[in-house]
Amino acid sequence: MGPLAPHEKIFVDSDIVEDENHGEIACHECHGGNPDDPNWKTAHKGVVKDPTYPDATRACGDCHDEINENYQKSLHVSLRPYKLVTDTRASSNAVIRNELGCAMNNHCYQCHSSCGQCHISRPTSVEGGFLDGHLFQRKPPMQEVCTACHGARIEKEYFGENKGVSPDVHREKYMKCDKCHTGDEMHGNGKEYENRYEVENGSKCTDCHKEIYDRESKNVIAHRIHKDKASCQVCHAQPYKNCSACHVGKDKNGLAFYKTKASWLDFKIGINPLKSEKRPEKFVTLRHIPVDRGTFGFYVKDALSNFDTLPTWKLATPHNIRRKTPQNSSCNACHGNESLFLLEKDVENNEKGANKNVIVPSNLIPRKQKWQPK
Amino acid sequence: MNYVRMCGLAITFCLVFVPCSPLISQAYEDTQCFKCHTSAKQLIEITREIAKTRPAVKSAETEGEG
Repeated sequence: MGPLAPHEKIFVDSDIVEDENHGEIACHECHGGNPDDPNWKTAHKGVVKDPTYPDATRACGDCHDEINENYQKSLHVSLRPYKLVTDTRASSNAVIRNELGCAMNNHCYQCHSSCGQCHISRPTSVEGGFLDGHLFQRKPPMQEVCTACHGARIEKEYFGENKGVSPDVHREKYMKCDKCHTGDEMHGNGKEYENRYEVENGSKCTDCHKEIYDRESKNVIAHRIHKDKASCQVCHAQPYKNCSACHVGKDKNGLAFYKTKASWLDFKIGINPLKSEKRPEKFVTLRHIPVDRGTFGFYVKDALSNFDTLPTWKLATPHNIRRKTPQNSSCNACHGNESLFLLEKDVENNEKGANKNVIVPSNLIPRKQKWQPK
Repeated sequence: MNYVRMCGLAITFCLVFVPCSPLISQAYEDTQCFKCHTSAKQLIEITREIAKTRPAVKSAETEGEG
């Protein structure tokens, strides 16, 4: 995604008047300001840059009423999982929680989306700018919108930008994000989910790969044996990006910044921390997330005093799927191969408590197989 | 019969010769917002003017992958 010059970000394509759905809505009806004032400085008084955030009712609700009804509960807008995991790790002290809330507002909660920041402009968290001269995009473009935010992990995995790692096989079939992640999933269905893996209409591999458990299907034995035991990614993902120790703060000019200590490529199978009816697998791929005991230390000490309540190795669905991977090349490429599993020795000493439920005890590592299916 | 035919002709005439959207878009195109935001030249001048006075909005201290 190339950067936009400042004027390109706000250039409106005059073809917008031809848009049969939106072309008759005057600029000021959504954005405010004074449309008759020739002085741009005074004309912009009261202008709202994104009239769809935090409430899209006025700008979009009249026509897109159903989507708007669920909008506030869409995870891209509510960021509820962020809030829940931070609250869980946070100190119960009210003063500390208040400081933590300020820190979250300055940093974490800036990474949200909105109707406008998917269908009209690039998200504000990546410096915004109209996607195509303010023409409304029914399907948000993948690289200007989706991977503009989901960049360090998803984009690099999907496009094969991590050194030595192939692109996702679905990318090679020219599939874009919306092929799996539909508008309905993105817009939400009005339910408040705790995490994205709970979303009822979220994508599942078996939505397309329905036949993998059929008797006639290729590799049916391997698929049936591992059903509910290992997630699809355990066999089909490649090494993916892990991060650690994100610290947030403000510089001498009062501008918010973050620093992450390290990022590395790794592949670790662990115990599923979010086992559910929808995700019954015992083994899943885990990704180290950048949270740290001192993430919010700039604002307040011991903000995350309940750090050990949640793992720092989190359930992950890497987007670099291949049909054939080193670990699925034979049974014993995985069975008995300790290096693939998250063991106690792989976890930092000060994170062992947090990860005790996802670390694989050596007696749970599947044993080497004598028999191999053909 | 003649009445029906006359109505049909009147409706057809309206549909073909009196399109309403150009009237609406004409009003819309006359606004200062539209005139300025569809002129690359004006936007370049204004954004340059803004850049001279507006302080940086992004910290240079950000490091690592987000």
